Amino acid sequence: MSAPDDPITPAEPPVRLSLPLEYQQDVFHELREEDALLVLARGLGLLRLVTNLLHSYDAAGNNLILLVGADDRENGWIGEALAEQAAVSGSSKCRGLKLVNTDLMSVGTREKLYTGGGIFSITSRILIVDFLSTLLDASKVTGMIVLHSERLGATSQEAFIVRMYRQKNKAGFLKAFADQPEPFTSGFQPLTNIMRNLFLRKPILYPRFHVTVAKSLEGKRKAEVIELEVPMTDAMRDIQNGVLECVEVSIAELRKGNTGLEMEDWTLDSALHRSFDTIVRRQLDPVWHRTSFRTKQIVRDLSLLRTILHSLLTFDAVSFNKYLDTVLAASAPPPGSTRQSQSPWLFLDAAHTLFDTAKRRVYTGKITEEPVARDKDGLNPVLESMPKWDLLAEILEEVERDLYLNPQPQDESNGSILIMCGDQGTCRQLREFLQTMHVDDDEVQDPDDDGVPDELREKKPSAKFMMRRKLRNYLQWKRDFARVSSNLFAENQKAINGTTSHGGGQASRGRAPPNKRRRMRGGGNMNGAQRAANGSVHVAGDKDAHIQALMQELAPAETEDTAATKAIDIGADPLDNMEDYYELYSMTDLILIHPYDGDMDDHLLEEVKPRYVIMYEPDAAFIRRIEVYRSSHGSRQVRVYFMYYGGSVEEQRYLSAVRREKDAFTKLIRERGNMALTFGHEAANLDPQESFLRTVNTRIAGGGRLAATAEPPRVVVDVREFRSSLPSLLHGRNMVVIPCQLTVGDYIVTPEIAVERKSIKDLISSFSDGRLYNQAETMLQHYKSPMLLIEFDAQKAFTLEPFADLSSMIGTSSMVGSDLQSKLVLLCLAFPKLRIIWSSSPYQTAEIFEELKKKQDEPDPIRAVQIGLESGEDPEGRTFNQTPQDMLRAVPGVTSKALQRLILKYENVLEVANAGDDELSALVGRENGRQIRGFFDRSVWDDGSGE
Amino acid sequence: QALPSRAGPSSILVSPRQKGNPILANIRSMPWEYSDIPADYVLGATTCALFLSLKYHRLHPEYIYSRIRALQGKYNLRILLTMVDIQNHEESLRELSKTSLINNVTIILTWSAAEAGRYLELYKSYEHAAPTSIRAQGATSLSDKLVEFITVPRSINKTDAVGLVSNFGSLRTAVNARPEEIALIAGWGEKKVQRWCQAVRQPFRVKK
Repeated sequence: MSAPDDPITPAEPPVRLSLPLEYQQDVFHELREEDALLVLARGLGLLRLVTNLLHSYDAAGNNLILLVGADDRENGWIGEALAEQAAVSGSSKCRGLKLVNTDLMSVGTREKLYTGGGIFSITSRILIVDFLSTLLDASKVTGMIVLHSERLGATSQEAFIVRMYRQKNKAGFLKAFADQPEPFTSGFQPLTNIMRNLFLRKPILYPRFHVTVAKSLEGKRKAEVIELEVPMTDAMRDIQNGVLECVEVSIAELRKGNTGLEMEDWTLDSALHRSFDTIVRRQLDPVWHRTSFRTKQIVRDLSLLRTILHSLLTFDAVSFNKYLDTVLAASAPPPGSTRQSQSPWLFLDAAHTLFDTAKRRVYTGKITEEPVARDKDGLNPVLESMPKWDLLAEILEEVERDLYLNPQPQDESNGSILIMCGDQGTCRQLREFLQTMHVDDDEVQDPDDDGVPDELREKKPSAKFMMRRKLRNYLQWKRDFARVSSNLFAENQKAINGTTSHGGGQASRGRAPPNKRRRMRGGGNMNGAQRAANGSVHVAGDKDAHIQALMQELAPAETEDTAATKAIDIGADPLDNMEDYYELYSMTDLILIHPYDGDMDDHLLEEVKPRYVIMYEPDAAFIRRIEVYRSSHGSRQVRVYFMYYGGSVEEQRYLSAVRREKDAFTKLIRERGNMALTFGHEAANLDPQESFLRTVNTRIAGGGRLAATAEPPRVVVDVREFRSSLPSLLHGRNMVVIPCQLTVGDYIVTPEIAVERKSIKDLISSFSDGRLYNQAETMLQHYKSPMLLIEFDAQKAFTLEPFADLSSMIGTSSMVGSDLQSKLVLLCLAFPKLRIIWSSSPYQTAEIFEELKKKQDEPDPIRAVQIGLESGEDPEGRTFNQTPQDMLRAVPGVTSKALQRLILKYENVLEVANAGDDELSALVGRENGRQIRGFFDRSVWDDGSGE
Repeated sequence: QALPSRAGPSSILVSPRQKGNPILANIRSMPWEYSDIPADYVLGATTCALFLSLKYHRLHPEYIYSRIRALQGKYNLRILLTMVDIQNHEESLRELSKTSLINNVTIILTWSAAEAGRYLELYKSYEHAAPTSIRAQGATSLSDKLVEFITVPRSINKTDAVGLVSNFGSLRTAVNARPEEIALIAGWGEKKVQRWCQAVRQPFRVKK
């Protein structure tokens, strides 16, 4: 197989492109012409460009093209699009996309595939191994396309791949893509660095404000966009303000606790963005060991608060309250802790408002629609509905009227309505709302409300039915949950409840978290008791008896309703009776609800061809997609409704996201202007003479032998290690990296030295589950000098976990033996022959390896693979997935021996969880089996030992 | 070789060379006494330690070799307690890594006198301890185990774990649950659901 270097000549079958817009063609031709890095604004159809480019090569035939960095969905997208385009072009040479993404594919199959040629999307880790083992010859590759190049760091796998590729292959093409400009703006000369890692010289930037893009999208065929600002309810605003106050206080606390750091970015505004965590972590990482427990906790709290803020706008009132309950239970203090160790925001008045208001949106005694008869309970469902729901119903009505009054002239788009929202959860919520909004349960509920005629009332859509159902579920769940948390956090509960217990056990179980919190706040004991005596609404509302009452009150409505509207079947699982109800709908009058899904949305628009699009949540990329869609199809009308909560975090976040992207592009353009274009990679190869001299031993004293070869130094590396950056760095230091399935050790440096690499996190976990002990044991059996490499992160501090935190513990319960230091000591004592290498970064590790290899023999990969295997065992069959194993290790009763048996016997965690008692006992022994069974079976709803 | 028997087994032996070392002030929970020994500290019948400050090592690189030589291969476990008190430690540490291999010493890095003192105490107090605590997992409460089990897949946190078990009742139901059911729980986004379902259904063994 040979790689054709010539571009497509006119003689070949014409390539049909699906790029109707001017800027798309510009980009395509620029990319076709020379190797470059393309940074495109979100939503402008990056994948479409990639597929067209791939297709143009695919149609040429006789090639081997690698696609690097694509995730599963992108693979699916590209594969489909390629097949489609091949069909359209009718080119006989197209072979479509082939995936190499699991270890399931054997070496032989892969080799055969590669020699066949075509377009391959290969998982980075596998590609590295195949390159290194020359299963795939880099010099035979026609070209490479790198997606998501914004993630490319100097030590990343993709950079390693590109380097190996470029070392052997100077002629093949290389195109890199990115559709997120923001990552290119942090650090020093980020664009230049990424370009250097890619061995590329030319960046192509296409922001939304690029002249050609603007011209293409803002022509006559502009989409009609209607912006709708929805006011939040007072309760929502209160909650939002409460959370924001918590965030603000947390940030202030963070600033106070960490003077001497650059904190310009630590503002309320930036804290609303997901990237804030990364910013804070990056600044704190070098001093992470010195940061106090409190600071770490606040950093965690901030991301929790952000989630709460997000849920406020997306969850309905009941689900939101439920979520808050869970949050409270999870952040309940560990037993025996003081006020110090709890999250500071929980003590704020704002937090109190937050929990209180959230509950009041669900049920209370203050605001009721039916002021009759129920006030004496002091407990009434409120069930505030989301303002967006009403608006959505209104829009749908308007669309309906619109369709009725002026049926569209001949038009390619369907009459369907597409509703776009943030995630699956919101989707489900909206679906349920739309299905039930006309279900009328008013007759049952308030027969006395006869001011409104029946027909009129029916007209008005409401979420009442849905909310009632949700509340019912919530109350049921709540009863269970009280038991769950008392089961799970029994000790905590006792500690908290110790002083104020309300009469019977019933009350103590049904106690709602807001109450708990009040008690936690300390000094409030008197207060709490008094309130209870007064019959305060909140406390009363939490009693089981009242919940029962509420349940009963709600129940009849339910039965009536289900009888009346049997057709509407929306249980917990809408897919339940999929087979029974499966039929094809006509595309003309549908309402489709979809979550935003990145580039997949392009497909969606093309397929659905909607006439109306309702954007339930703002999303800048999707607006562009519609622009692209509208401009690409002259004959398709589309009207867009765009709604957001006015003055909400949602609005703020949307606006600043747009601003940040623009700023990022401006910065990139400036950097491109100043970029120096001299890159010298070619001379990286070592002088042959030097590599010869490296092995010469100059001290040939008594009996020393002269061993001088030009053989390059080599290191045998376990294939699982290719997730880390060390193999890449070793390769960068001109060592030959041989990937193998190793049973003992991670790196075999010389025939006598085996190295087990552990990052600090690994070290802690492998100490706690005893893995390291076993690894050290087997290494000692087979190698003369086993070594434990403790590798620190390059960006992080070069120190073990803070020792200062321990000093207090030593006094009280001396020699607990739980800290890292004491475990290291035990390890040393158990294995005096085990050497420890301390390395501050992977860079340093590579240097140390080089040092260790000096004047030593090279390791033998075949021997390395066989070591530790029992005779006749096939090394290939011994690869395991890490995650499910780690899960099993957490199960009580699973010893390392039991673990081995379990993973050989069962297929996955699911099977173990469902395995019978006898089966398990036979396998791992009676006691262990019982423990495992018990762990999976124990119901947290029962009144367990916790009570 | 008679060194350990001469002194009481309960105290750390310290060479008079170490007089004035701030570490000594940090050995609090173990008794120690001066003794004429080739090593800096004797921590057990077969364990000794040499103390090295990287700052000093940079000025007198040959010092530590002469000290190691003086041990004459006596102790089974020879600790090189190294204080990292300089910024550019890379080169020295690289050299010491090689040395540890050749001269049979185990390097332990410390960053403060307090930590160093703690190491010495630990070596002495664990002299006869069995390595049980690093051999198998420590016992924790059931709720911790539950949370630990659920939070193994990436990006699933404690709140999610509590939400999961509280909705499904037992772990078994949670493991058996379908993705659509899990997605109903507040806080469980698409990614988390996918990760969780994948983790419980992923085969242990990768078949070739």
